[in-house]
Amino acid sequence: MTDLLDYIGLGMMAVMNGPALFEIGGIGLPIALVMLAAGLFTGIAVGATPGLAGPMAMAISLPLLISAFGFSPDALLPVFAFLIGIMKGATLGGAVPAILFNLPGTPDAMMTTLDGHPMARNGQPRRALRIAQLSSVAGDSFSDIVLFVCAPFLAVVVEAYLDLPEKTALLILSISFIAAVMGASVGKGLLSVSLGLVVAYIASGNDLSPRLTLGFDALDAGVPLIAAILGVLIVGEILATLETLWRNNRALDVKTEAHGTAQDGLAPGDLKRITPVVARGALIGTVIGALPGVGSTLAATLSYSICARRAKRIPDAQPFGTGAPEGIAATEAANSAVSGANLIPVLSLGIPGNAAAVFLILAADSIGGFNPGPAVFAMPEGETNPQLVIAFGIFTLMAIGNLLNWTVGGAVMRSMSVLAKVPATRLLPVVLLVSLTAIYVQETSMFAVWATLVFGVLGYAMRRLAVPVLPFVIAFILAGPLERSAREAFAATGADPWFLFSSPTSVILLLMALAALVFLGRQR
Amino acid sequence: MRHPSLRLTPSRMLGAVVIVLAVLALLVWVPNDTVSGYVQSKRGRVSIGDAMAPGLAFGLMALSGALILWETRKSDAPGQPDPRGPAFLAVMLGICVVALTVMIWAGPLAVALFAPDETYRNLRDAAPWKHIGFALGGTGLVTALVCLVEHRFSRLALLIGLATVAVLIGVFDLAFDDLLLPPNGDQ
Amino acid sequence: MTHFFKPLLAVAALCATAITTPTATLAQDWTPPGPITMYIGFAAGGGADTQARLIAQGIEEKYSWTVIPQQAPGNSGLTLAAELAKAPADGTAIGMVVSETMSYSSQASGDPAFGYENFTMLATTAEFQMGLVAMANGNFDSWDKVKGAAEAGTPIRFATASDRQADMAWHLGQKVGIDFNIVEVRGGKGVMDGLRGGDVDIGWVAGAQSKPVQQGEMVNIARGIEAPLADSPDAPMITELGSDFLLDGYFMFIAPGGLEPAAREALGAAIRDVAEDGATDANGLLTKAFGGAAVRTGEDLDAYMTQANADAAELMKAVAE
Repeated sequence: MTDLLDYIGLGMMAVMNGPALFEIGGIGLPIALVMLAAGLFTGIAVGATPGLAGPMAMAISLPLLISAFGFSPDALLPVFAFLIGIMKGATLGGAVPAILFNLPGTPDAMMTTLDGHPMARNGQPRRALRIAQLSSVAGDSFSDIVLFVCAPFLAVVVEAYLDLPEKTALLILSISFIAAVMGASVGKGLLSVSLGLVVAYIASGNDLSPRLTLGFDALDAGVPLIAAILGVLIVGEILATLETLWRNNRALDVKTEAHGTAQDGLAPGDLKRITPVVARGALIGTVIGALPGVGSTLAATLSYSICARRAKRIPDAQPFGTGAPEGIAATEAANSAVSGANLIPVLSLGIPGNAAAVFLILAADSIGGFNPGPAVFAMPEGETNPQLVIAFGIFTLMAIGNLLNWTVGGAVMRSMSVLAKVPATRLLPVVLLVSLTAIYVQETSMFAVWATLVFGVLGYAMRRLAVPVLPFVIAFILAGPLERSAREAFAATGADPWFLFSSPTSVILLLMALAALVFLGRQR
Repeated sequence: MRHPSLRLTPSRMLGAVVIVLAVLALLVWVPNDTVSGYVQSKRGRVSIGDAMAPGLAFGLMALSGALILWETRKSDAPGQPDPRGPAFLAVMLGICVVALTVMIWAGPLAVALFAPDETYRNLRDAAPWKHIGFALGGTGLVTALVCLVEHRFSRLALLIGLATVAVLIGVFDLAFDDLLLPPNGDQ
Repeated sequence: MTHFFKPLLAVAALCATAITTPTATLAQDWTPPGPITMYIGFAAGGGADTQARLIAQGIEEKYSWTVIPQQAPGNSGLTLAAELAKAPADGTAIGMVVSETMSYSSQASGDPAFGYENFTMLATTAEFQMGLVAMANGNFDSWDKVKGAAEAGTPIRFATASDRQADMAWHLGQKVGIDFNIVEVRGGKGVMDGLRGGDVDIGWVAGAQSKPVQQGEMVNIARGIEAPLADSPDAPMITELGSDFLLDGYFMFIAPGGLEPAAREALGAAIRDVAEDGATDANGLLTKAFGGAAVRTGEDLDAYMTQANADAAELMKAVAE
């Protein structure tokens, strides 16, 4: 127990005592904190800009951050600080154009437009923004606390009770779960997963002559990770959105604008009204967020519809859809609560559940010295586990990020409303060049840039055919661990072909994987 | 009017194509492009070969194609076959390919014309040579895409392209000593 | 500026062959005709990557040559070798791998293009501190316990991070009559994570075990190199346990084949200069994490590589039997 407290202390110190960027009044400002604040403001700005989203900003800033801070373990906390800042800021910023202009800045802010925009149109934009901010930060803080408690616990349980075969089974379960819950159909989810696996298996085998290269020398080192992920996630999105804009130049333009009246701002009794709604939304978001791949849109929809149904039963309640504060609170609390809980499987098992988590894993992978997974939470005797210090440093940063969101987040949100008017027709080509350049700088090979374009086309085609893209990316990341753990388990059990069925735990995990595909897929 | 379950919708076509490709890969690609096969005997033991994981992945892909066909057996959205979509994508890709080609060859061309006794490789970290390709190709890419989407040429688009390139050169090239802008790391 | 030197160098080279001037003077005159690309055959962020980057930094500071580090990891260093084979042999392309890449791995790949005679060996920087590692105070924390457990019929999981290490594990097992379950994992870090998580029992680690061993978390139960390990001088050599071969090796720099002797000597000297100078960061890292600088160049290095290739062929033959 005292060990744990020591680590928490070390983690906080790692953030606070890091190299100072500059000094104010003799007190050094730690670089990690500066990066956190910068990331947070960037995130709010990005969320507030229609056509941009948090993951896109994380993707573009990652190569820049790595160039700036290098590959040493000292780089981990500042880089994570910026990325976590973007993640937290973007969920907050997405509500701004949703409320003010009826235009969701991020996909998960869709439900916020339903009550947020009517309230703003009724002359209370500040009140709507304030309610959104408070509910969002409350949901985020709650799920972060759950993360702090659950991730170490889960990791310790996994490491203590799961042997190599069970770890393989657990990876199979996560991949099939993601295929089942994401997108319109299990078939298309599985297609996305299998594509991700196949691409990841190019030239990644054990043989000294690389497999599946089709004789191309350029593929001998495999498909660059960053090219595949950014291609499908970012370039595919840019190509698809540019096409939409080409058909209709005004598709992402501001349509209606709301202006405040005299009695704007939080009304008396608002806090009391939204508290139970926020609590329920935070809980829904956290539970859903902890499952890889389910996502914030579902959490927001679920929370909103549950609250709307309850509101109907109360006779004098304000109906949803007319600018009810509960409507804003229900969606914002739920979609923000997803982001913290989503890191539970990331930190404890190395399994990413959404695009933001993908980029955190990518950052850890690129810098080195921190490998998300059970080993992060090991407490070896007589030695300090630097990964655990980093983990608690990350927790500290998340807590401080929430604090910033509580205090200054609202003011930043209001100031960003102007960004909703930046035309996406000019912004997206710029984002494309920045992404391609960032990829080149990290990979130093034109092949990576061409590969990014090819994967961009794949991402575009997947969007047009309603094949979800996130399972591709997650499967791409988990493909290596899956194959390795299966090989290790097979070898460790002395070449037992039935190693996956050698223990009850692994059989249960496999049955759950099958059940996820059969039952979760059917309900749609 | 054909029976609805026989109409060829995009999803059904996708399912069929996926099955065919996955089976082809399983029969031709995987066996011919891996060395150790599905299992191999090594150091007196059987171990998993390099073909196992891709083989299973392609198997999963075939299964996914079958599932897509099965899911759409009763009804499926007909989809709107709009030839303008792929055509627009082709134009966008054309712009990218031309811009990247300019990016790669403009620098070496300039060296061949103006500094004939040097090689571009030896000048890849020297201004202004190292900026020529990136500046021309990058500006072209942004400007052309903005003009394409906005259906008109504007001087503003050119300005945006130039500004983006200038900022990127400032961020990556001036701020970091060891970073090379495209295409200079391939030289 | 530098291109003015090129004709001069050519003349100098001619003179050298004509009147056999000592090559030392030639090497001192040599400067790279352009920026040097230093390929690094290891994942970014690890100890080997840091080592290479610090050496690049040291060369830039001491010689004011431009050195641009670039990652080329994968396939036991052969990805880097393929990249290097395409680069010009004028000293502007060098790469850091391990000696194993140019011996065991190149032979095992079966592709003669990867043969060590098709590349130029520049200089080694550090020798592997190869140990057979287990958790301290566990069931396998000495060689006797490993043998005892095997005799009692316990299957023993032996983690290895490369084909050569796996061959060596099998060979050792054959010689002492233990049928190890050989588990191939990723890198020395993968071996140590496996040990910590209880997934494997023993495994080869080439130097990264230094800190856990010093802190009493792990032990070296045997060593794979000739010289005693800095952390565990008492660990027996594997040839004393029954193995016919050692599991030794170096981190080293290579260049494309056919590099002119002056360039080879100048680059080798530059690397030695940086690695052995106690004032450089590179030397600090080598001392702290790699058991000190161990630089071998020129004919000495060629002789080592010839021997290493002969050993690798023997090992593969022994394992195939």
